[in-house]
Amino acid sequence: MRNVAIAGVGYTNVFVSKRKDMNAPEMIAEAVDNAFRNTNLRPEDIDAIVIGNMQTFEGVNLPHLWASEHFCGVGKPVMRVATGGTTGMSVVHAAYYHIACGLYDTVLAIGWEKQSEGDSQVGLTGIVLPEALALVPLGLDMTGKQGMVFSGGGSTGAASFQAMSYLAKSGGTIEHIDKMAALERGNAALNPYAHLKVPNCKPEDIAATPIVSYPLRFGHTCPTSDGATCMVMCSAEKAPKIADKVAWINGLANCASEPTTGNLLEGLLTDPAEQMPAKIASKKAYEMAGITDPKKEIDMAEFYDGFAHQSMMWSERLGLFDEGKAPEMLDKGVMNLDGEMPVNPSGGVLCTNAIGASAMNRVSECALQIMGLAEGGHQVPKKVRNALAHGWGGLFQYVTVTVLGDTPRKM
Amino acid sequence: MAKEREILNSVVPLDFTYNYRVGIPLEKYILGLAEGKLLGVACPSCKKVVTPPRSICGICNEKLDEWVEVGPEGTVENWTIGHVRLEKGEAKDNDEPVLIGMIKLDGATSLMPGLIEGMRPEELAAGARVRAVFKAEPEGSVRDLDHFEPA
Amino acid sequence: MASAQTRYASDIGMPRERMLFETVKGFYDSLGITRHDIGTFIFASNDFQDGRTISNVFADSPVGAYMKDETKVEADGSFAYLYGVMRILSGHYDTALIIAYGLGGSQFRPYLVMDYTMDPSFTRQVGIMNELVAAALQARAYMMKYGLTEEELAAVAAKGLRNAAANPVQLRGQANATASDVLKSRPLYSPLHEFHCYPPTDGCCVMLLASAKRARELTRKPIWVAGIGHDLDTYYLGEKDLAVSKSAQRAAAAAYKMAGLSDPAAEIGVAEISAPFAQQELILQEALGLFPEGSGSQVMGGGLSEIAGKLPVNPSGGALGAHAFCASGLQRIADAANQLRGEAGACQVKESKLAVAHGQDGFCAQQNMVTVLSS
Repeated sequence: MRNVAIAGVGYTNVFVSKRKDMNAPEMIAEAVDNAFRNTNLRPEDIDAIVIGNMQTFEGVNLPHLWASEHFCGVGKPVMRVATGGTTGMSVVHAAYYHIACGLYDTVLAIGWEKQSEGDSQVGLTGIVLPEALALVPLGLDMTGKQGMVFSGGGSTGAASFQAMSYLAKSGGTIEHIDKMAALERGNAALNPYAHLKVPNCKPEDIAATPIVSYPLRFGHTCPTSDGATCMVMCSAEKAPKIADKVAWINGLANCASEPTTGNLLEGLLTDPAEQMPAKIASKKAYEMAGITDPKKEIDMAEFYDGFAHQSMMWSERLGLFDEGKAPEMLDKGVMNLDGEMPVNPSGGVLCTNAIGASAMNRVSECALQIMGLAEGGHQVPKKVRNALAHGWGGLFQYVTVTVLGDTPRKM
Repeated sequence: MAKEREILNSVVPLDFTYNYRVGIPLEKYILGLAEGKLLGVACPSCKKVVTPPRSICGICNEKLDEWVEVGPEGTVENWTIGHVRLEKGEAKDNDEPVLIGMIKLDGATSLMPGLIEGMRPEELAAGARVRAVFKAEPEGSVRDLDHFEPA
Repeated sequence: MASAQTRYASDIGMPRERMLFETVKGFYDSLGITRHDIGTFIFASNDFQDGRTISNVFADSPVGAYMKDETKVEADGSFAYLYGVMRILSGHYDTALIIAYGLGGSQFRPYLVMDYTMDPSFTRQVGIMNELVAAALQARAYMMKYGLTEEELAAVAAKGLRNAAANPVQLRGQANATASDVLKSRPLYSPLHEFHCYPPTDGCCVMLLASAKRARELTRKPIWVAGIGHDLDTYYLGEKDLAVSKSAQRAAAAAYKMAGLSDPAAEIGVAEISAPFAQQELILQEALGLFPEGSGSQVMGGGLSEIAGKLPVNPSGGALGAHAFCASGLQRIADAANQLRGEAGACQVKESKLAVAHGQDGFCAQQNMVTVLSS
């Protein structure tokens, strides 16, 4: 067992709806180039590479094979990890184990998605479609409203059930979701790598957008983005040789639950706002990082929030606020960029969602905050010692958690 | 005992549409085909010349932006005779065998797959010389290079 | 490590979840453990093959991963094994369950999955290349470079069919198969016939990896991971010599270095190599240093890689007997471990202490994983 550091980050020059000037491997190459530029490393310095995306979104099977030359993978050990929304962080975790096990010292972790090339909602519906279609011969009508319910309505349909359940549990209101979304859109305006940016966004601006699936408005939902992220990770021995400032991975865990729509053929229904895996994984990660009171010791957090109510929900389930307290904390300004517990200073997934990169960006953003390198004004004003990064995916059932620190954990 | 009941089986054809950005190098190649030209790019480091062109030589970690015209003649380096074809992943018998060559276009170092017409299967061998045949009416796709014929 | 496999089939005749549940539950029962004894679950499955986005979504609970640590390597099962080894070596986990499955026999056509592996904007649009064409070109490349005859290539497939006939889990086997039987099978793309190529297969393979201490508690005959290595070649088929596999050479070199082997051909007693096409067994056994480069004719002529030969390769029948996408590489590792335990039944080779196993992904084995196992 040995400590692992994040020594540098490279993003694509932009995260946008449609990256028209390049194909997928070229887009990956841009992020890898930027990571090399930011760390002064060269391809020969890299011992191994972990890469991931959601392949049904681009319609290319095992796309790392096609892209091998574009991320300097030829002649190197390369592993492909894909776990849905959590992919980006699962890739980071795999890179962590590459180093922690002692086999490799310097590893690239790459997460990417080029959502403009496929149909993301069709891709997402494909999670549940085979199970739903298996019920067609038994009389399920796949057309009309009933069909949309069973197929989760893409993802917004399923998320609306979660939002309703969360509001009922916490006593929050749809206005709180407006406020959360406005906060994150405003943060994104300060992040040069964010996709949807609205300077000085007001809750009223969000409230003016149409309802997609009650209580979720269009302004509460994430975009689909094209983009890639490449992180350079290394062993404690290598870290001082690569970078002056590093962030340490001090705790990590993940946990799987049942699909939230229920295992249609053989399983049970669960409450989509309960998110027990978040509680289990965060407890484990805090223990590993030696954090006993996350409310006090964690300085900022980046959550995987495809929908704005989730930033409130995750901050409770991951132990940063007591259950049901997030709407109140939001009202008090605690979650603001300059608050006591800044949440998604980058703008979160709500503002930038290149899916395979999304959960990775939570880690890279926490690392940049710890290094004090967040660009464009979204660096939080207070000193960040410990940060929490969170990924979420599957059919509302996977949670990954990474705890980062400015000093390595004690073994 | 009653005959065992057949368990239900869902047959589900899925049809997605994808829109792929080909990238700038391949776009240039496709536009070249319409003019009857085959374009490749050279690596400044290892000197290889590849077609179809791409943006990066991953082995040398170099940008590929030195354009060269290759072909239209080339040499068959490897080949196979298709007694079947794959239709959506299913092997269907061909009425006539199909000749597929890996062709090294003159001036290129890479091999390109191509259909070879106007040649009997027993004539196909490594070293055979072939020439590219372009579509008379280009469509702006990689298929504007239609096939190869004996040179 | 310990492992279990389904009996591979062209149509397993049950839902995927049921197949996973029965295989994994049966495995737990055979070891006298429950799902709570598993530290981390690592899947190897493929969204295209499964026809499902995030293929593990409905597969977690059937294998007992509910509220547990779980992740997925979207690649051949040998890469999930590799990740499991890393997680245990890191000291974070004592046990890792590797679950690799594919339903290429009944659910989705494997050649179509491989069509989607090609780049979408050139190779797929040109419409000439597919998995069989690539394999045929690779076979021709080896034959041209090293003078292998069609009969000798067919002899590789015939050996696979004979060995598979002796292995009860395999889908396709034929006792007494000869090269002429192979050449009489349906011609596909020359020089390949149907029996040179893997049969589309349904099935799954699970394996339990454990730390040294835990392994001794779980089994009286643990098999040890002595070395691992993996590597990737360029994607472009027209820019490499298909008759050799440089990435398998590099992967093997890393694995042998870790295992401390200086003369693998002399030290290793048995090999299980993922070769879904006959010529790949020759190319890969050479890349793994088991036989000299270009020795295919001599090896087949002398029967050197037969079960009773000097260095048996694929005594299980290999991927020509069954090739369930993703499960295939893990199956090779499991079969190699069974050989070292002396539990390979009619496929058992003479006693040996070291085995090498291999898994791969991509056209013409673009990506390779090699592991050395020791008793």
